[in-house]
Amino acid sequence: MVSRIFAALTRTTDRSSASGSSVAENRGATEHDATAARTDGGAVVDGSEGSASEEPEGATGASLLTRLGRSRFLESLPFWGPPGLLVFFFVYGAISWNFLISLTGWEGLGSPDYSSLSTAAYTRLLSDASFVAAFRNTVALLVVFTALSLVVGLFLAILVDRGIRFENTFRTIYLLPMSLSFVVTAIFWSWMYNPRIGLINVALRGVGLDALTQAWLADPRFKLGAIIFALMWQFSGYCMVVYLAGLRAIPNDQYEAARIDGASPVRLYRRVIIPQLRASTMSAAVVLVVFALKAFDFLFVLFGVNPGSSADILSVMMFRVAFDRLQWAYGSAVAMVLFLMALSVIGPYLYLQYRRGEL
Amino acid sequence: MSHDNSSDDADRFTRRHYVAGAGSLATVAIAGCSDGGSGDDGSGDGSADDGSGDGSSDDGSSEGSELEIIHWWTAGGEQDAYNALLDGFREEYPDVEVVDNPAPGGAGSAIDAVVQNRVIDGNPPSTFQIWPGQALTPYTDEGLLEDIGESVWDDEMRDAYLDDVVDLSRPADNLVAVPINIHRLNNLFYNVSVVEDAGVDPSAIDGPQGLLDALETVDAETDATPLVHQTQSPWSSLQLWENVFIGEQGVDAYQTVLDGDVEGLEDEVRSALDTLASYLEYIPEDAGSISWDQGNNELIAGDAAFLHQGDWAAGQYEGADDFEFESDWDMVPFPGTSGVYHSVIDSFVFPTNNPSPEATEQFLNYAGSVDAQERFNPIKGSIPPRTDVPMDDFGPFLSRQFEDFQNSDSQPPTIAHGTGVAPSIHSALEEVFANFNGNLDVDAAYEGIRDAF
Repeated sequence: MVSRIFAALTRTTDRSSASGSSVAENRGATEHDATAARTDGGAVVDGSEGSASEEPEGATGASLLTRLGRSRFLESLPFWGPPGLLVFFFVYGAISWNFLISLTGWEGLGSPDYSSLSTAAYTRLLSDASFVAAFRNTVALLVVFTALSLVVGLFLAILVDRGIRFENTFRTIYLLPMSLSFVVTAIFWSWMYNPRIGLINVALRGVGLDALTQAWLADPRFKLGAIIFALMWQFSGYCMVVYLAGLRAIPNDQYEAARIDGASPVRLYRRVIIPQLRASTMSAAVVLVVFALKAFDFLFVLFGVNPGSSADILSVMMFRVAFDRLQWAYGSAVAMVLFLMALSVIGPYLYLQYRRGEL
Repeated sequence: MSHDNSSDDADRFTRRHYVAGAGSLATVAIAGCSDGGSGDDGSGDGSADDGSGDGSSDDGSSEGSELEIIHWWTAGGEQDAYNALLDGFREEYPDVEVVDNPAPGGAGSAIDAVVQNRVIDGNPPSTFQIWPGQALTPYTDEGLLEDIGESVWDDEMRDAYLDDVVDLSRPADNLVAVPINIHRLNNLFYNVSVVEDAGVDPSAIDGPQGLLDALETVDAETDATPLVHQTQSPWSSLQLWENVFIGEQGVDAYQTVLDGDVEGLEDEVRSALDTLASYLEYIPEDAGSISWDQGNNELIAGDAAFLHQGDWAAGQYEGADDFEFESDWDMVPFPGTSGVYHSVIDSFVFPTNNPSPEATEQFLNYAGSVDAQERFNPIKGSIPPRTDVPMDDFGPFLSRQFEDFQNSDSQPPTIAHGTGVAPSIHSALEEVFANFNGNLDVDAAYEGIRDAF
């Protein structure tokens, strides 16, 4: 998939940035790689307009153009070359290798046998009840956690944006949980959720709502909800900051104009302001989804490798299968599913960003 | 289009240079990277590198005098016992610098990942804590543990260990582990005054079902929690189920299950699950958010009556103020298992590719000595696997356990503590009991147990 997206990106790069695309078309297929490489280099130094203006000069003296191209390429190489290579080998290389391992049936502490590959691990996934449960929980976590955090974050941002006193203080308070690690917040929330002495149940009892007290982290009905709530607490502050930046970018005139037109605050936000926050929503949502996929630490601290089928998520299952059972191939297959899920979120986002010319 | 052929050629020529340049850069980069990583063999690059990033202190400590020990003794009295062991070792071998590398987590839940990664990477610690028996099989299958039959297990040591224990150190042909302690799993601890208040006589409970009646009585007669238990991680329920099963069906049926025949014993397995489900109605309401030692504090405080746990729990009683054996707390074998010494054993091993062969051998020799086991076990709350350790320092409780051990009819290995089943079965069973803790679904648990073996 990576290569397909990569190809899609380079293809569109060709189309949009090369004003002399006809030149590229005339060249043989053997040179395609080199063209792509140069376009990449051009994109990095952000010189598409520059090269367009240099083009006539290049037409008069081809050697000048090549020299220019070469020097530009060489100039930029130290900047994108090493990181590009490192990413290629240690990210995409590792992902490909992981995929390969998922086909081998590798178990135990020996070495994988690459001679016989099969997709047995993937067919096994489909009939594995714990995978089905983990997949369902992961999707539920992604959707509910992201949506709730966005809504709460937007609400906080609107409140903070109304010119309140101690604005910076509030902003810091709301953002603070984000700066804590999952390990800290997990332990913190396990105390909050303690059925006997935890703050939540104590508070509920304090206001006479004894009937609502629950064993939040033990009861399978509430486990996932409790986790989602805790994660939302941690990340809605981040959403608030993203939205606040978005709100600040909207000119004051629009507020005034809407008010003069007699729009109520609710209508003002619903019809005028919130529709303009789509970009903020997009970027915040992508970050949230990725964090939700990485919520491993939070669950691992709370439950170890066995959260039970009501709260199991794919990243915990991956760890359990690989490191507890030494079924590396099966664990790799789970990892590939996780990877595809992450890709299915980030891929469209990058593509959209690219279409908007922001990449 | 506007270019002529010659310029095209020149273009191509230079591009070829770019490719060549990029290629050589890549070569340099790869060389540089694999130098930094674990450049042992072909499989040692990329993902092996990021896999080992978690617990390992990859400082390349290859000096022979540095002994890195990975263990999970960080809770309660465990840590004190471990420190006592290290003190003794330092006295004996002052030249060796011990690098302590704890991987906390009850019953080794976190240690496996750390150790396995490093073993696969060819960068093992000097020695690590592991259960003997079936838990060793992933390592012995691949020949990753050194045969210490000559260097450590001399005749003197072999004579001092019971044969069963020696066999657990020899999952394949070679002796690869040094057991340092034996815990008993089938204990029922109780707070004497709470039990007396409820009018229950623990020594008269005649079986798992009888314990259920006792729990009911405690619940009705006192404010105390009848049975302290934790369900945050599944191993406590798993070991309780094991003991209920032995209590109801005996050791032979238990061995049959260990050998994998669950289907033939469906009713028996289900019956033990039913009993366990009934027990779990009498546990603290915060069982899902506490660790076993937090729960044990309740028993010490007099807020709980019974605890089923390995006898490592007793170390906590010894450490508590004004909490004396027999007058404040006591223990009976889990009902129905009085002739059984369900043993949980810890051991140390000698991984191949050892960074400090000499120091590791010294440590293993020390761990198998009378001095080490005499220092370690009284604090740990376990009995020594060597039979010639003087019991003077062990106190009345452990002396009684040791007596029970010597008089026991059988010493079966455990599931929850790895000696009885291979790690993959162990993990699958833990998952089953993690679910059972939440939903008490006997049907699902039975199917899970059946499929795990």
